[in-house]
Amino acid sequence: MIAVLALFAGVLLGLWLDPTVPAALQPYLPIAVVAALDAVFGGVRAKLDRIFDDKQFVVSFISNVLVAALIVYLGDQLGVGGQLSTGVVVVLGVRIFGNVAAIRRHLFRA
Amino acid sequence: MSERTSDEPGQNRRGMRAFTPDFLTELFHNPLDPGYADAAAQRAKTGRPARSGWSVGPVGLVVIVLLGFLFAVAYRQTVAEEPGRAQARSGLVAQIKQRQNETDALSTRAEQLREEVNRQRETALGGSRAARLRELEASTGLGRVRGDGVVVELADGPGGQDSLSGANVGPAQVIYLDLQSVTNDLWAAGAEAIAINGQRLTSTSTIRSAGQAILVDFRPVTGPYEVAAIGPGGMRKRYETSYSALTMRKVAKANGLSFAVRDADDLTLPAAPEPRLRYAEPSVSPSASPSGGDESSGSGTSPSPSGGGR
Repeated sequence: MIAVLALFAGVLLGLWLDPTVPAALQPYLPIAVVAALDAVFGGVRAKLDRIFDDKQFVVSFISNVLVAALIVYLGDQLGVGGQLSTGVVVVLGVRIFGNVAAIRRHLFRA
Repeated sequence: MSERTSDEPGQNRRGMRAFTPDFLTELFHNPLDPGYADAAAQRAKTGRPARSGWSVGPVGLVVIVLLGFLFAVAYRQTVAEEPGRAQARSGLVAQIKQRQNETDALSTRAEQLREEVNRQRETALGGSRAARLRELEASTGLGRVRGDGVVVELADGPGGQDSLSGANVGPAQVIYLDLQSVTNDLWAAGAEAIAINGQRLTSTSTIRSAGQAILVDFRPVTGPYEVAAIGPGGMRKRYETSYSALTMRKVAKANGLSFAVRDADDLTLPAAPEPRLRYAEPSVSPSASPSGGDESSGSGTSPSPSGGGR
């Protein structure tokens, strides 16, 4: 419950502060969001599996975002930024789908 | 992310995970971060109880707030970018429309002024010289002409034109080469004056393509295309046997675009815009020479002076 409230607080904070993203960081924002979604769904699923661990959650979130951003940055430097970010989205997308399917099985038994 | 798959605690949770034969298979089978299983196994070993309910530690809470923050920022960013793109696009469209209107107004004004000049000149010259001048103007495309002739109609086939996305640009489209060959064959069949969609052709006219559009003398023309030609009586029969007519009939039958030739009486073709005279100049510096004289004449309908002629 507190987690959901915290999420809402973050959203409200973001809407209220309305920070401008520096132009250099803008390409990484979508990838960061996908990585964060992966961490969130992973956390929810772990919670439903009763193996949630908040240290693991924090580390996985931060490392996901950083690694995803690093891969995109590397790709940009190498000239294959588009392809590499597609790769990141595919891998994280597969994980998100798998975790959502597990969550769905937990919640609806179907 | 998965650096701990080879650790021991992760392995004995499910007996099958001794090896990870293939990263993708592993990814599809078990999308959850293996770290969670490791942590749970560690806890079970040390006997520490798992947290209950939805409570998380303070660091976790901070991260969750950060997550919400990230989502909100990304949302704001996406929403903020969208109108910018749409605005730029509609601004460009409006600019194009405005410039076209300006050009139209200016060319009507030029037409009026030219008629005025013609009238003045005829009163000044009078007689046979004025008549000869009129004749020359008619044949060079500088004067409005009226007469009988043929009209060739070309139109894109159905389903072949998606001008917005540019997708499916199939052969069911009239291309600039079609218009070129039709006009060339009309000239060959004896036409004295030709206009495409009301754009009079002169001896220096160009029919070119720029991306999807067909440009006649740098003005875009859109389908259905109507090539009107004034000429002697037998022109239609001669044109019907020409190469382009035969080809276009074949293409029309195969691809579904429409092609028709009909006789037309009392056609009126407008005058072409005044040709821009270009003067040779002594070359002072090579970079300045091609455009200097053109700019001062000032009647420019086309933005690029050097690409004007053929």
